[in-house]
Amino acid sequence: MANTIIGSSIVIDGEITGDEDLVIQGTVKGKIQLKESLYVESSGVVEADIETQNVEVSGQVTGNMTASDKVELKSQCRMIGDIKAPRILIADGASFKGNVDMDV
Amino acid sequence: MADAPCIIGKGIQIRGNLSGSGDLVIEGRVEGHIALQDHVTVEESGTVVADIESQDLTVNGKMSGNIEASDRVSISSSATVRGDVRAPRVVIEDGARFRGNIEMDVPLPPGLLK
Repeated sequence: MANTIIGSSIVIDGEITGDEDLVIQGTVKGKIQLKESLYVESSGVVEADIETQNVEVSGQVTGNMTASDKVELKSQCRMIGDIKAPRILIADGASFKGNVDMDV
Repeated sequence: MADAPCIIGKGIQIRGNLSGSGDLVIEGRVEGHIALQDHVTVEESGTVVADIESQDLTVNGKMSGNIEASDRVSISSSATVRGDVRAPRVVIEDGARFRGNIEMDVPLPPGLLK
């Protein structure tokens, strides 16, 4: 895997930017800005505003999300915040509180 | 996956504090502060502008900032480092570029003390 992995024992407080895929298994607070996909895995905790192309959430996210392509909330995930994206998928079992804006 | 590796890839920039345990490999850019319990590796493509506190540190890339390691700091031949280093064991390979202070905190034999 050539992409970036923030391991489960890592805590980042600040800003992450970049142009490749990012996998979060640990904790990130602050701001995330990517040109590619973001994966928040089941052990991941994110308290940040997120701006990317794709987001896949299996863990916990607090913050607003803007995706240029797709946001996917998997079952077991917990998400609090507003989502803005052309395609939004919410799986059965996901908990979500916030606004959805699909730009229709 | 208790000890999942943490890799900061080439296309990623992080600005802020990075802390925790587990090994960290930096191929991208990190600015701020790094405090880790285990091994930090700055790869050849990596750039770090941060103070680093860890157990072990291996630098193959470019970094600027103070280093404090509880065990060992290794500055390899491809590395460029500016900053102060404090660790019980410090290795600088042939070809490495380094500017700063090194403090190894070694108890000197009594005859050498002034």
